[in-house]
Amino acid sequence: MAADEKDEGAEFADFMADISQEISERVESLDAALPAPAPPLARKVATPSPSSDAGMILDWDNVAERMIEEML
Amino acid sequence: MSVVNYSTREITCKIVYYGPGRSGKTTNLQHIYSQLPEERKGKMVSLATETDRTLFFDFLPLDLGNISGFNTRFQLYTVPGQVYYAATRKLVLQGVDGVVFVADSQSRQLAENIESLQDLHENLADDGFDPRTMPLVMQYNKRDLPAEEISPLEELDNKLNFRGVPHFPANAISGGGVFECLRSIASIVLARLSAPAAKG
Repeated sequence: MAADEKDEGAEFADFMADISQEISERVESLDAALPAPAPPLARKVATPSPSSDAGMILDWDNVAERMIEEML
Repeated sequence: MSVVNYSTREITCKIVYYGPGRSGKTTNLQHIYSQLPEERKGKMVSLATETDRTLFFDFLPLDLGNISGFNTRFQLYTVPGQVYYAATRKLVLQGVDGVVFVADSQSRQLAENIESLQDLHENLADDGFDPRTMPLVMQYNKRDLPAEEISPLEELDNKLNFRGVPHFPANAISGGGVFECLRSIASIVLARLSAPAAKG
């Protein structure tokens, strides 16, 4: 084994830490992209955007593709 | 290809180590296995001939446990590098989420590296994947060999890495560069959790 090899398991621990952080960030972004379970009706009160469909569904194609993929 | 399953709260990533024969694919998995803590050490399935050449494939399941509410598993595979195991390589590639291409840095192996890379692209295309978008990292293995026997990293990158993907020098026998590659490909694959599905 190489002289610079870390203690057994240390490399895996570092890997786990990085992956955990990565997944945590991804899950947060996914939660933001997925449709909310309880639609916040109050949000409809303020619609400053001139576009009629602005803000209705974020990234719908992305979500729909994944749903279809999981059903296959 | 299914990376994340919301209904069962599971993340499963299939990563395949690809490359010519004797480039060090199995050695990569063996090093990763050697670093696993006992409680996470499952079975590494390795089917080899009496001369230690991979006959079918290696399989190392990495159960990372619950991360942010998702039960997370990585499945690491190698393919047999020898040209006559083409059917096996196609089979192992099915459903792949990311590829680590393990290139042999020896100058005399350059043609084999190129042939294997072309084989990878053909097999991905046959399986309905776009080889240009498949998550990929390059590992230039055997950097511990004498300098006169190996190609410079720049040359390997020029000849093999035309996509400009992340690339790492490695010495899989001692473990150098092994986890760097795994971390990189895992990160690229996981990035797709918040990106559109990219098959085809």
